[in-house]
Amino acid sequence: MSDLESFDFIPLHIDPKSKAISAAQTPASRALEAELNALNSLHRSLHGLDPPHVVPPPPVPVNPKRSANIGKLRESGNADYRKQRYGEAAKFYTLGLQMALTRAAWEPSQLVREEVHALYSNRAQAHMHLGNWPEAAADAEASVEAKRQGNAKAWFRRGRSLVEMGRLAEAREWVARGLEFEGEEKELIELLREVDGKMEEEKVRRDA
Amino acid sequence: MFDIDWRGLLLPLAYLGVLVGTFVTFSRVYRKRKAFESANLAPWFGPHLQRNIYLSLLHMEPEEGSEKAPKVPDSVIRAALLRRAVEDIHRIIQIRTAKQACSSLLQRGSVGDDLWQRFQRAEKEMEEELRDVVMEANALVPNWGQIIFQSANEIAANKALRDRIDEIEAQTENDKEWWEKRRTNIKTEFMKELEAEEEGSEKGQTKASLAGSEDEPVLVETDTPSATPSGASKKKGGKK
Repeated sequence: MSDLESFDFIPLHIDPKSKAISAAQTPASRALEAELNALNSLHRSLHGLDPPHVVPPPPVPVNPKRSANIGKLRESGNADYRKQRYGEAAKFYTLGLQMALTRAAWEPSQLVREEVHALYSNRAQAHMHLGNWPEAAADAEASVEAKRQGNAKAWFRRGRSLVEMGRLAEAREWVARGLEFEGEEKELIELLREVDGKMEEEKVRRDA
Repeated sequence: MFDIDWRGLLLPLAYLGVLVGTFVTFSRVYRKRKAFESANLAPWFGPHLQRNIYLSLLHMEPEEGSEKAPKVPDSVIRAALLRRAVEDIHRIIQIRTAKQACSSLLQRGSVGDDLWQRFQRAEKEMEEELRDVVMEANALVPNWGQIIFQSANEIAANKALRDRIDEIEAQTENDKEWWEKRRTNIKTEFMKELEAEEEGSEKGQTKASLAGSEDEPVLVETDTPSATPSGASKKKGGKK
């Protein structure tokens, strides 16, 4: 962008039927290819707007329908969880997650984070009850990714899953980082102590 | 009365003339050189692909065999402008984060003056670019200019979050495989240990008791996941 008056012309081709844009010259560079894909998918999603709108409306207020559905799915999951049907609970959480993650891209990301962190965290716990440690660890990590602070449970769940898989060094690092974000969280401190104990134990065993 | 001695003044006047002339030429040459330098500075950002696509779509050329340029529907143009706004958001964020670092590095003399110049030019260009996008948006849909960057901001933030989550989920498959392998490894090792123990105890024992102990590994094996925490609690107890 050296000059505001000029631009580099890119020969493009538009499909008369689907209106999909593609590069007129093949092979196109990878960046151009990726960008055109993004453009076409954005174009398709713009067609999904409610009729009066032709462009995305302001991010707030949000259409409450989807939030209500996601909330319902989470509640169903929680109910199954309480009845100790962990597999079913995880399925409900998965459905909720799909719904939350397929929100239109221009809807508030903060809202997506809120919904997604709770669902991932709950699914992590369901997986923990099922003994699916790798899944639980990944879900808890995703939950933390969506919400770093005030999410001590997710920090704890990944730490616990890593310990169960015997990845002690990783668990130690993770929990220590969690403590940085969460301050003095009792659960996390205890887990850290446990990990330290185990590492000590392992060391003694190795030396012996 | 005031008879001016023109001849006497000639020298001072010539002196002044030479002085002013030197100043003018110097400043002209200096400025020209500086402008040339700053025009030749490498741009801060690479080419703006989204902007190029948007403008290329506006200036579509007729394809071979047909006279008229293909008609690009408005919705495609709008999508392309939104993509352009998203890229602008990325650039604004880059500029904001770089500004602090850049100015403090400049104050310390860690970076040259030209880097700062490049930065300032990028900042100015960015402002123009934003204004341009807002104007284009308003031209396409009334009042869209006020909203387009809000939407673009959310799109950029959502994309970042989704990319991270996809990354984590992609890692899960590997993790699962690794865990399966490890679990079988642990199991086989456990069995070996048990067998070794059995062999050691077999010497002085009858076969009947061996049959009894053969059930044991199965029992312990199902216990492995929960066996670890109990080990830990023992350790904790020992620490107190």
